[in-house]
Amino acid sequence: MKVLFLFLLSVISLQSIGQVKIGGFIKEKSGEPLLGVNVFVDGTYDGATTDIDGKFSITTDEADTIVLVAKFIGFHDHKVQLDNNVSNISLEIFLNEKINKLNAVVITAGSFNASEERKQVVLNSLDIVTTAGSSADVPGALNTLPGTQTVGETGRLFVRGGEGRETKTFIDGMIVHNEYSPSAPNTPGRSRFSPFMFKGMSFSTGGYSAEYGQALSSALILQSKDIAAITRTDLSLMTVGADVAHSQVWKNSSFSGKVQYTNLTPYFALVGQNIKWDKAPTDYNGNFAYRLKTSKTGMLKFYSNMSTSDMDLYERDIANPEILLPTSVGSDYFYFNTSYKEILTKKWGATVGASMTESNDFAAQAGQSRGEDISGRHGKLVLDFTQSDKLAFKFGGEVLLRKGEENLTNTNGQILSSKFDETISSGFVEAESYLSSSLAFKVGARVENNSLVDKATVNPRVSAAYKLAERSQVSLAYGTFRQAPSNAIIYRQNDAGQELAEHFIVNYQWIGERRSFRIEGYRKNYSELTRFQNEFDPTTFSFDGDGFAEGLDLFWRDTKTFKNTDYWVSYSYLNSERNYRNYPDSFRPPFVSTHNFSVVGKRFIQSIRSQLGLTYAFASRRRYNDLNTENFLGGKTPSYHNLSFNISYLYSNQIIFHAMVNNVFGINNIFGYEYANQPDANGIYARRAIEPPAKRFLFLGVFITLAKNKSISQLPNL
Amino acid sequence: MKKTVLTMIGIVCAAILFANDGQFEKAMAKNIQAMYQASDTETLQGVINQLTRIGDAEGDRWEPYYYSAFGYVRAMSMSESNEAKDKYLDQALVAIKKGETIKPNDSELESLRGYVHMMRVTVDPASRGQQYSGMAFGSFQKAISLNPKNGRAHFLLGRMQLGMAQFMGGGDGGACESYATAKAILESEEKNEQSIAPSWGLNGTIEAIKETCEG
Repeated sequence: MKVLFLFLLSVISLQSIGQVKIGGFIKEKSGEPLLGVNVFVDGTYDGATTDIDGKFSITTDEADTIVLVAKFIGFHDHKVQLDNNVSNISLEIFLNEKINKLNAVVITAGSFNASEERKQVVLNSLDIVTTAGSSADVPGALNTLPGTQTVGETGRLFVRGGEGRETKTFIDGMIVHNEYSPSAPNTPGRSRFSPFMFKGMSFSTGGYSAEYGQALSSALILQSKDIAAITRTDLSLMTVGADVAHSQVWKNSSFSGKVQYTNLTPYFALVGQNIKWDKAPTDYNGNFAYRLKTSKTGMLKFYSNMSTSDMDLYERDIANPEILLPTSVGSDYFYFNTSYKEILTKKWGATVGASMTESNDFAAQAGQSRGEDISGRHGKLVLDFTQSDKLAFKFGGEVLLRKGEENLTNTNGQILSSKFDETISSGFVEAESYLSSSLAFKVGARVENNSLVDKATVNPRVSAAYKLAERSQVSLAYGTFRQAPSNAIIYRQNDAGQELAEHFIVNYQWIGERRSFRIEGYRKNYSELTRFQNEFDPTTFSFDGDGFAEGLDLFWRDTKTFKNTDYWVSYSYLNSERNYRNYPDSFRPPFVSTHNFSVVGKRFIQSIRSQLGLTYAFASRRRYNDLNTENFLGGKTPSYHNLSFNISYLYSNQIIFHAMVNNVFGINNIFGYEYANQPDANGIYARRAIEPPAKRFLFLGVFITLAKNKSISQLPNL
Repeated sequence: MKKTVLTMIGIVCAAILFANDGQFEKAMAKNIQAMYQASDTETLQGVINQLTRIGDAEGDRWEPYYYSAFGYVRAMSMSESNEAKDKYLDQALVAIKKGETIKPNDSELESLRGYVHMMRVTVDPASRGQQYSGMAFGSFQKAISLNPKNGRAHFLLGRMQLGMAQFMGGGDGGACESYATAKAILESEEKNEQSIAPSWGLNGTIEAIKETCEG
């Protein structure tokens, strides 16, 4: 009997045999104690949390091997095997800091990142949409950032002394051709892509990753949204047209579609225009997106944009304004993009994508016409390999096929037909290394071969960042960038070459709580630019043009100082000259303005349930070629001023009214002058100012949301 | 006698064998309570660490991560600086995601995610409201579609609707309707002290109804 009880007792006490006491301290490598570290015996509940001195104490019953684990946010897990024969263990553990997105320095030279994430972001995608004067146009809003020049007659992004075509747009890594919708001569076009489609954008004004090519000045990298969150339908009625959008959400996928009809006839009937319209711009536009989550980490995306638009107007002859020249502009556009992203193993990830563009543009005036068909295909594979949190590689290859056909018809009905068929094959590799969480390097190169030129180029890209303090850092970037000359040149001479730009960038950034400041200096050297005596005669072409751009960009944003108010201020100084095209020497091109300044302010006023926005933009005088003087590019436009205002009024959760006035004060902005081809009897060339078709642009709209849950509104979209 | 002793031995052995299961429930119950009672972030971090240890040791239970996340949301509301608040909310999301690797498409975890988004709005309503209120609504709606009988999701949805309605200058925005649904569901839920399934929300709902929907 007794024996049995003894046995029972021993069974019970078995549980307390081998009890081990573990105590000690957990510190940073620097010796700083760490508070709140989770220290525990692996596989058990036995553990403790360190106190303010980094001290902990654990008692464990674990009889076999003891593995002690220390876990803390921002540090690598630390595991140590302990000797369980000792009943009292005392130890000191030093944790290694983990390099992660939250604490590590980020290379910011050249790029503005906008996303829905909060970290390291200067602007987010909503900021784009609510900027007064931007009309919810991505380039329109980005034009309020430093590094851009106001070139009001195009609506495009002119970056740091680069032409509009030197900025390329990428959606989910895939190139987009002809991203602007057509417009009447010398009136701004809009981006075809709505900002609502994107969860993030990175606007690089130079020094961008080796992953991107065929852009001399700037890359606008857009990431499309993932699976939609809720099923909803949105209706918009606007002074310029109407649209219907619907999102349908399933368990692991979603479909979003938007159909838009734009017709400016009623608006032009109400608001007088400088242009005499026969048929105001009309546009049918469809956007469709399907997203499928293929696994926990895999995402398959399809996106398509299609549109058809046309307009007919009368342009006045410059020499004889009473002569009206019938003019028409039309375009059919189709873009399709698909990408698939998956994490293959713990260290390997892959993204594969393909896109196609079919774009047909047509413009005619007084018996002459120009038609251009662009057909683009793009295939790309990117692999990423993460060696550790300190070293990662990204490499890949892509093929860009681009076919162009241009048909020029003169008044005699003669047709000049030109074509090109270009294949650009490229490969890139980039290594990203963190020496510590304060010092990062990115080293890469891009190899490109253009079939038309059949010459491979190697383009190095290097950047680095160093964290000076908790909130401030400096970055540097260097790189060379290649781009095919403008299509107009390639049509005349297929093997026209690859233009070259070299970027040097220094950046300082400070990000405080709800405030940020950055200053960036740069120098850009252009070479191998196309020169000609006659744009249509390839025998006069040479490819030894050059140029430079240097400047300073400043940016300040503050959402803290004034309650419910967000504002940012941008200033760009630019000095740029080129010797290209038909320039007799090195001159400042007409699209360059030395000083660009803008202030964007937004304020939500609770008592009237409205968000108000104001944007003021200034650009200093631009050059134009005054044919009546001897000086090449000797004319100077007045400086540019534009104050825009917008207001969004929340009538209810489901109904929002929006109004916008562009150029509130009706300032007469002149972007340059066009001259008659022939001088008049007195030897004077008649001229006409390039100016907006109307002083002000007014926009009114009502946005209605239909969703199962009545609390959902388009508010996040305004 | 011998028989009794043998039975006893059997019981002891069985107790040892099954000790683990009871241990989980007991440890959870203790720490859930400690999580609700903690009144400073330091204590809370200790409890969260303990919950994480339990979760990591078990490997197939989502509840420890659910309560860790809930603890982080509580820690957030005790913090002063916006950066600290964001940090806790980030940690809450990490815990929710960990829970979801064990139990994907869970209504409770999804509504907690909505709660995190909702708290994100409170950090800085002027700049966060537009974005995160939409995300919060999205999560609550998804949580309800995953399980229409999730009372907490209805309760939180009501709070969001009320906040939105106040922002819009009047009405309850459907909050009272959501509260009523929440109350009916939560009242019918079995009260079991030992249960570790999420069971909070009834008191808050009753309070909210009193405040907003009565008188």
